[in-house]
Amino acid sequence: MRTERLVQHLLGLAAACSVAVTVLIFGFMVILGLPLITGGAFFQMFTSPWLPSQAVYGIAPMMVGTVSIAGLALAFSFPVSLGCAALISVLGTGPLPALLHRLVRFMTGIPTVVYGFAGIFVLVPMIREWVGRGSGMCIFSAALLLAVLVAPTMILFFSDSFSSVPKAYLTAADALGATPVQKLFHVVIPCSWRGLITGVVLALGRALGDTLIALMIAGNATAMPGSVLDPARTLTAHIALVVAADFDSLEFRTLFACGIILYVCTTLMVIFTRRVGAVSERRLWRSA
Amino acid sequence: MLAQTSIKIKVRNLFFSYAETAVLKDLTVDILDRSITAVVGPSGRGKSTLLSIFNRLWEDIPGARMKGSVHIHLDGTDRDIYHPACSLPDLRRKVGLVFQIPNPLPMSIYKNVAFPRKLAGGSSKQQVMDAVETALKQAFLWEDVKDRLREDARSLSGGQQQRLCMARALVVNPEVLLLDEPTSSLDAEATEIIEQLILSLKENCTIVMVSHDMAQVKRVAERWLELSEGKMMANGRISAPACRAR
Amino acid sequence: MAKRMIEKCVTAFAWLSGLLLTASVAGLMGYVFVKGAGSLSLSLFFGDTAPMDALLFRRQVFDGIFPAMVGTLTLVGLSISIAVPVGVATGIYMAEYATGRTKHIFGLFFDILAGIPSILVGFFGFSVAVFLHHQVSDRIAPCLLISALALAFLVLPYLIRTTQTALENLPRQVRVTAPALGASPIQTIFYVLLPQSLSGIVSGIILSIGRCAEDTAVIMLTGVVATAGLPSSLLSNYEALPFFIYTISSQYADHTELMRGYGAAIVLLAICALLFTLATLIRHRLSDHLLYGGR
Repeated sequence: MRTERLVQHLLGLAAACSVAVTVLIFGFMVILGLPLITGGAFFQMFTSPWLPSQAVYGIAPMMVGTVSIAGLALAFSFPVSLGCAALISVLGTGPLPALLHRLVRFMTGIPTVVYGFAGIFVLVPMIREWVGRGSGMCIFSAALLLAVLVAPTMILFFSDSFSSVPKAYLTAADALGATPVQKLFHVVIPCSWRGLITGVVLALGRALGDTLIALMIAGNATAMPGSVLDPARTLTAHIALVVAADFDSLEFRTLFACGIILYVCTTLMVIFTRRVGAVSERRLWRSA
Repeated sequence: MLAQTSIKIKVRNLFFSYAETAVLKDLTVDILDRSITAVVGPSGRGKSTLLSIFNRLWEDIPGARMKGSVHIHLDGTDRDIYHPACSLPDLRRKVGLVFQIPNPLPMSIYKNVAFPRKLAGGSSKQQVMDAVETALKQAFLWEDVKDRLREDARSLSGGQQQRLCMARALVVNPEVLLLDEPTSSLDAEATEIIEQLILSLKENCTIVMVSHDMAQVKRVAERWLELSEGKMMANGRISAPACRAR
Repeated sequence: MAKRMIEKCVTAFAWLSGLLLTASVAGLMGYVFVKGAGSLSLSLFFGDTAPMDALLFRRQVFDGIFPAMVGTLTLVGLSISIAVPVGVATGIYMAEYATGRTKHIFGLFFDILAGIPSILVGFFGFSVAVFLHHQVSDRIAPCLLISALALAFLVLPYLIRTTQTALENLPRQVRVTAPALGASPIQTIFYVLLPQSLSGIVSGIILSIGRCAEDTAVIMLTGVVATAGLPSSLLSNYEALPFFIYTISSQYADHTELMRGYGAAIVLLAICALLFTLATLIRHRLSDHLLYGGR
């Protein structure tokens, strides 16, 4: 009986440690960023530009960079992902959709740095030629590449929720003479819209949290971007680039602000997806 | 033979198998227009399969194979339903199927019944509304649901759900209605309503129903067809159905 | 007729989407392969050093990706051996012991941990290193050990989730058989439930290895450097394959170095593809094996 207890306590301890890590990551950022918050410079940071020569360290340009790259990536990726998921689970015929499904699953295993590497030598020169000015490293290029990176997240989530639509509904629609496209629009999508939303939010989380693509492709300029063909820096890339600097400088302190924003955004998105998911689960359970 | 009893469905030399299991062997049968034909026989002997052959719903079952020909007289012409030119959605609208377990879609009562009209397209809102009302009346459901058309169809009782599914099949005016043990999941009272409903539909449709309940077959059907070991054991007329007098 | 058109357009759009995605991935990866295939040779790995000398650590390797590979291997080994015990134990706790509120709140925390951008985990590792540097010893700075710890935090939620899901998806009969024979909860877990869900857990571990091997954001803040040779101790700097690729892409000096970058990218891609295939195979094989009895 004593070993029973002991093992149970050990397992509980492991779980507590795992929770502690999550809390510590936030705790460390808040504690180390505390002088900033009490100093009153914290909220100013979110609205000011980045002008080190005038000792103004605002992260507004990085916030704009993050939002525009992630938003644009999602806008590129969403329709294609929806098309792929529909092909995989509803519209496709023959062996090709299954192959596509496999490719998409494999894509989750491709290292981000390899995407970035290929992007620099394939995509960036293409964009440079097409735009005709600048280095080709811009919001647009980064968003395109990021769209490829986050597509599997959406496709897999979409096609999973498409396939979990009860078979009885599909047979009913078949028996009433629905074509595959009608089945998709009238039965499958209305039944799985929660899955669609969750997939989009998860993909948005991946896009906001990605460091390497933006770092390698977006050009990392600290000026406020004026168009999608301008270079920009994301919050994540900003952290990566500034860490090398002096630990006590105000420049460094901005990182805590970046970190806190990213952490809070992630947490909100996770809570949101859990809400949406929980509601749908409860619903299914009740109607079953 | 009387002049108006023309042949609606003509099955010739039909073989059917799932993977390695032969379900139907060399079945040849005619089903008469505007009659109620019951398909009886031990379970697992291809009764439901026969229904799914009439509207080609078996086709996405992996490993299923069919040989032989099925002609159905639709829109005034004799059609080979397995001919490549035959449109599947059209066929399924003309040959409705109601399942053993009621399967309302996760939408409101109104939308469920309107759904096939929406799929077919080409009707105005008013036409759809009228068609839904007619179909619900035909299915003896209108009085039960006329004040709650916006409610989720899954909130109806089992018998009501089954009548909803019948209404949904009727809303596009099918010429043939296939019923796969339509009352097996219902209680006695709900069963009686459905049986009366089936009898009332005979005016407009050719009905083929699978049933386990010989008493029900005698109450409802005029003709019957017995399948066993994939072959037709008997096929004939039921003398003096008791219920028809009512 | 308009309906037919919509039907056709939607179907065409779906096929086009599939084609576009396939073409993008094939284009990007194909380019790396075609350009880099020529650089795949022993000298890519060992530079001018004799392979045997390098493998036995007798001589240093310059101009080759061997130190980066050893660095990545050490790093992955370390972080997995930290993360697996904690992650699997937490997964067991979540599936078998946690109930109600605790389970809900813990689950929320692990979801958050899974969603945190990897750069933040790296930043956390960096902050811890600096904190320890000031509070404990000057000898501690961003290093192999800190990287391994941070990477362990990064893959922890995956391990927890895969373990938990594998256990929770076991059929009810499996769950009630052992207690019916008089097994205690712990005996049930270790003799029945864990062996039965092994395939899920192992494939989760292999996918975590893949994540450790490919991650760049965490390690670039916690001690990886462009040139360090082989890692000498847990507290030293080290090289790693993904960081090597990143550095080359941003600051290659000449064509030879760039080609080495292509080679490294192919090697890393191959490693990840191998791990991915392995995880998939194990999941299918083991579950077949368990479902249809020992063969």
